[in-house]
Amino acid sequence: MTPPTRVMRRFTSWHLLILPLLFVAELAVFAPISGVRFDSAEALGRSSRFYATDLITHAAPLIVLVVGMTAVLMTGGIDLSIGSMVALIAAVMATFDPGASFWWTAVPLGLLCGLGLGWFNGFLIARLDVPPIIATLGTLFLFRGLCEVRLGDQEFGTFYDVPGFAWFGGLSGSLLLITLVVALGGGWFFHSRLRRELLMLGGNRVAARYAGIPVFRRTTQVYTAMGGLAFVAAICFTARNGSVSATSFGGLELQVIVAVVLGGTRVEGGNGSIIGSVIGVLMITVLDEGLRSAEMFHADALPFKIQHLKYILMGALLVIGVWVNRPTNNSTG
Amino acid sequence: MPPSHNIVIQYFSRVTPTVRHRLLFLLVGCALLLGYIFLQTSADDNSSFLAEVSRIPVYLAPVIIAGLGLTGIIFAGGIDLSISTIIVVAGTVFGILYDYGASPGVCFFGCWLTAVSLSSWNGLLVRCLGISPIIITLAGLQFYRGLALILADTLMPDFGGGLSIQQAAYQTPAKEYAGWILAVVVVAALVWEAYGKTFRSFLALGCSPQACRIAGLHPGRILQMSYLVGGLFLGVAAVLYVTNRQVIEPARMAMGFELSVIGAVVLGGTNIFGGEGTMLGTVLGALFLYLIGQAMLYAGVSEYWRTAIEGAVIVAVIGFDCALHRRRKLLDELR
Repeated sequence: MTPPTRVMRRFTSWHLLILPLLFVAELAVFAPISGVRFDSAEALGRSSRFYATDLITHAAPLIVLVVGMTAVLMTGGIDLSIGSMVALIAAVMATFDPGASFWWTAVPLGLLCGLGLGWFNGFLIARLDVPPIIATLGTLFLFRGLCEVRLGDQEFGTFYDVPGFAWFGGLSGSLLLITLVVALGGGWFFHSRLRRELLMLGGNRVAARYAGIPVFRRTTQVYTAMGGLAFVAAICFTARNGSVSATSFGGLELQVIVAVVLGGTRVEGGNGSIIGSVIGVLMITVLDEGLRSAEMFHADALPFKIQHLKYILMGALLVIGVWVNRPTNNSTG
Repeated sequence: MPPSHNIVIQYFSRVTPTVRHRLLFLLVGCALLLGYIFLQTSADDNSSFLAEVSRIPVYLAPVIIAGLGLTGIIFAGGIDLSISTIIVVAGTVFGILYDYGASPGVCFFGCWLTAVSLSSWNGLLVRCLGISPIIITLAGLQFYRGLALILADTLMPDFGGGLSIQQAAYQTPAKEYAGWILAVVVVAALVWEAYGKTFRSFLALGCSPQACRIAGLHPGRILQMSYLVGGLFLGVAAVLYVTNRQVIEPARMAMGFELSVIGAVVLGGTNIFGGEGTMLGTVLGALFLYLIGQAMLYAGVSEYWRTAIEGAVIVAVIGFDCALHRRRKLLDELR
């Protein structure tokens, strides 16, 4: 049990509160646009239930990825290859026969593939000492290329034919995965020794080695875990979309990094919070959903397509979020 | 040893051994690949070596020229992830000017100027806000695509996703002069790097901001300057990129272009954290990536493998290089 004083101290630093406040403000603007109605208690309950379902199913794969990416950024690394990784895992699974046998052939192989690709990143970074941004840039091309080799120009839409697979795209499936990854995994991680070791690794690698932390093993583990989470996200995405092509999930890595950085994690490593990252994902999803509904209901309000505002707002949100969250007074920042 | 007056010797003695070895490797690699392509084309009646070589600038000019600009920025310890969407905005401005009936010269200049001003705007933000350049330009990557789409939507009433450029006069830079423009820009960049002080100050900043400040240089100003200089190159790259196609689609154009450019820069031996590298390396890096893809085509490997091979080359070359220096680096760290 966390002593209350520690909790208090965590929140006395005022800029830890800014992110949730920003999120609430954003929700207040976009929830009515997205169809949440305040006429009566019953209407409010029903419409907000629809809204929450929409948000959760859309945010689920991103939330899964963001947990891994936060850990990666904590160690001072970065993983640019996750978009290609998700696409490649989906591509590997897509070419299997979509029957009941899918569950004991394609799914384990996908998991193995995810862990293997993640391990390969970790191997490059830890064993060969390639800077993370370059290593994962190279594997971004490599995985995307393998995906193209595997799929060619076709689009594979076999996922809806797998019995029970679409469940993972629905509310209960998404909630289950989020609970497993964030509440159980993240909760355990928050109190674990591993988290402090990763933070130390990001803060000062040499000091970490002197402190007896197995630097190479921890680095490899983090990237392998990222690969495993990419597999979970691939299941989420394909269960919702039902198909994969060679160009799917391009730019996913940037979306995930935006969410993590928005959540207060610094790209230089040495700090990071999973809760912050999850709020970051929710902010992006709320924005996305809000603009999509605005496009539907108020298409003529502005002289351009409202959905195009998404890019502008996302960029502005990122700069403002990071600028407000930036460390100010101490030498570690 | 007294300093040599020969500029070529000076140029190569300035770079670190790591970079020198990489340059050598790329030179030999490019020569071997060109030789292989020459052998294959001369054995085959349907293809000619000259036609193959004359195709290089059309594909490579935007990557190399944008790469030269980015190299300067990376020298100084910055990075620009938003170059692809800056090109998109520049292309949109080009398309809008074309639609309003401007002459080709005005269109090209507008395109160039847009890229230069957006890149300097990036530099200003990086300097003033004090946030890491990765984040600023990551935000720019999103922001500028939105800007391009909104510009096209508001200024062109019948915008349906693509701006079509039909007249051949508007495509001369890429279709006819790409090789010449590329040659002029590359030579200019190399001469500027060899004789000028600008790129050396970028390198100094990348090596150590503190040392820069003590020596009387202004770190913030130099970093901002690197984005401006990068913008000058990026503008030319944007003109060449945009004029190479008939339809400009702001929503989809140039996706992932920044990553190809960073790949070429890094393969050329430039240290991603700044302070080390050459312009020549970037040119050779981009050329090597392209040639290895072409050589694979002649060797009978399917076109689908091109991206995978590009990635494998980056990973293999840099992985091998890093593994070689790993032992010394570890010992340095633990000393």
